[in-house]
Amino acid sequence: MTGVLAIDPLLFGELKWMPLVIVALKVLVIFVVGLVGTMFMVWFERKVIAGMQNRIGPNKAGPFGILQTLADGVKLFFKEDLLPDRADRFVFRLAPFLAFVPAFLVWAVLPLGGDYRDGNRGLVEWFGHATRVQLADPPVGILLVLALSSIAVYGIMLAGWSSGSKYPLLGAVRATAQMVSYEAALGLSLAAVLLTSGSLSTVGIVGTQDSLSNWNVVATGVVPFVIFVIAATAELNRPPFDLVEAEQELVGGFNTEYSSLRFALFFLAEFMNTITMSGVIVTLFLGGPQPLAIGDWTADIPLVGNGLEGTIWFLLKLLLFLYIYVWFRATLPRLRYDQLMDLGWKVLIPISLGWFLLLAALRLGRDEDWNVWLVAGVSVAGLLVAAVVMFGAMKVSGRNRQQGAVY
Amino acid sequence: MSQYLPVVALAIVTVLFGALSFGASRLLAPRRPSSAKSAPYECGILPSQEPPERFPVSFYIVAMLFIMFDIEIIFVYPYAVARSSLGLYGFVAIVVFSVLFFLTFVYEVARGGLDWGPLQRSRNLESAAAVVSPERTTTTTIRRVGTEGRGEPGEAA
Amino acid sequence: MIAQAAADSINVAQNVGFGIIAAGMIFAALCVVTTSNVVHAALWLVLVLAGVAAQYILAAAEFVAVSQVLVYVGAVMVLFLFGIMLTRAQIGPEKGLNNRGWAAGIPVAVVLLGLLSWAILDAFEDTTLPDRGPTTTSRISDDVLHPYLVPFLAISFILLAAAIGAMVLARKD
Repeated sequence: MTGVLAIDPLLFGELKWMPLVIVALKVLVIFVVGLVGTMFMVWFERKVIAGMQNRIGPNKAGPFGILQTLADGVKLFFKEDLLPDRADRFVFRLAPFLAFVPAFLVWAVLPLGGDYRDGNRGLVEWFGHATRVQLADPPVGILLVLALSSIAVYGIMLAGWSSGSKYPLLGAVRATAQMVSYEAALGLSLAAVLLTSGSLSTVGIVGTQDSLSNWNVVATGVVPFVIFVIAATAELNRPPFDLVEAEQELVGGFNTEYSSLRFALFFLAEFMNTITMSGVIVTLFLGGPQPLAIGDWTADIPLVGNGLEGTIWFLLKLLLFLYIYVWFRATLPRLRYDQLMDLGWKVLIPISLGWFLLLAALRLGRDEDWNVWLVAGVSVAGLLVAAVVMFGAMKVSGRNRQQGAVY
Repeated sequence: MSQYLPVVALAIVTVLFGALSFGASRLLAPRRPSSAKSAPYECGILPSQEPPERFPVSFYIVAMLFIMFDIEIIFVYPYAVARSSLGLYGFVAIVVFSVLFFLTFVYEVARGGLDWGPLQRSRNLESAAAVVSPERTTTTTIRRVGTEGRGEPGEAA
Repeated sequence: MIAQAAADSINVAQNVGFGIIAAGMIFAALCVVTTSNVVHAALWLVLVLAGVAAQYILAAAEFVAVSQVLVYVGAVMVLFLFGIMLTRAQIGPEKGLNNRGWAAGIPVAVVLLGLLSWAILDAFEDTTLPDRGPTTTSRISDDVLHPYLVPFLAISFILLAAAIGAMVLARKD
């Protein structure tokens, strides 16, 4: 039954004209909003970072320079499209699409608004049809996000290889290793969220977070949230994890040989990914379109219907994360590559796996009516043993290295 | 399945957008190829070395470990979703599975599969003292370049 | 009556979709073995594996489809491409990719095809897909942790062996 409930009622039953029109409208609106949002994000980042560095930032094109990105984009249309001699022509042309299309598709499964109060599961009424403010809600929605981000790796890897030039190749190899490493951390910290929500569909995940204490950031105990944000930043190749395009070492990284519109597509994909990843974090940990509610009290935005209010809450939370990403960039220096890999593999992955098992044990104990403190004590003892083993392994590898056992 | 049709539609719209933009750019952009433009970009310096043929094996090990963790993730998710109906039995199964994984991981770490970059040594104070010794001056450490055939510095050309 | 007709039309759409995707997969599979560039071959293989995922979606097994993409497209093929890129991926066509005795592979392939088709036809005959709606994730976890628990734990041992093997190969002791 839950399987049927999770499906958008619009797409259920016979095909009719009106639902098709609504779906087509949704596709177009999401596409346009995605593009405009990316332009806004570029402007926002430049403006905020300028403020943090005591500069003015873009201020010529349009009010507050808001049209600057549009001007830059139009400029790229008029630039010569270079195809390096030694490039693999087909793969070189294919790679920007592999980066750009998955970045857009993540939008499809994010709940962008809707009424989630009183167990309403995000339904709103449009043109006399009950529907969701979301393009699609497959039962495995959140896994689709992971699958898309694993396809996006191909865009970067193939762009670097097909350029036939050394800096892009180095950048691509670095990027791929970094992205797959942090994808593992991302996936494991996501498991903690699934434990509390018991559903893979984004609507189901948002549905359980109906008050502040049920928001997954609180319900999973903050640790998975912190790991997810760090891993997401690395997955996006944003500072302080932007080793992929470390200008000082690699010229421009994987997209060095790209120019004109092909470069624009990579650029768009990068900023689009920042927005969609913030959206994923909001959906998973901060209740998505759910209003802020503490106990019985709900922060109600006056004069706005419940359906529209969801979108406003979503955008507010989204802006918070966009700001945090810019803040990271302005504040944190870039990691060294060995620090990056050590952080991912030796810190984030073991902690997220251990935290998941701890949460599972606590919930099992609650179901079976065991003593909470006993369960917690035994689990923590088990995790400590694992930590000691892990430190022992790191010590052994360190000693072997000192003795010159390098492979 | 009908759930996926809008996603496919969005994908088609995106690809069309990209393709149309390329079309527009092809009409608008200049086309003046030259050998310098189509050479690999190396900041204006002529390429003197081929791109590296082989990379450190650590990259390969990372990809290998990622497959393992992907499989772990794939098995952990169904458990997480259906935890309440699986009870103690399911929990024990997933813990055994995770412990086996963890042991594999620990083995990789202990064998140095995840060590990166050159060895970090704490700086030896004696050698640091040698670096700042009075014997080291600009005349001993800096090699003058581009002076071939100019004769000695003080000498008239 | 109407529900039956709707179900039939869905089945027709499913069969048409199956045919189109299967044809694409066969084409991609042929390209894997005929292309003269190793990286291109790997990319065609990605297409074949993505086609398998699409078939799973058509069969309403969404979790399996996403797992297919995550594990095969996202991890195994990345390892493949890494292996190629990190050693010898030259750009442009390569010579000498074909084994000299490649013709001997044809009868083997034909026999294998016959054997597999016979096994599948013999096992399923005219069984139709039960119309029980999409496979839910909790059903999968029930299956994995109850009837298939032993294979599930065997997987972790296989991976343990694989990881140790990789380490032994990678290190020069």
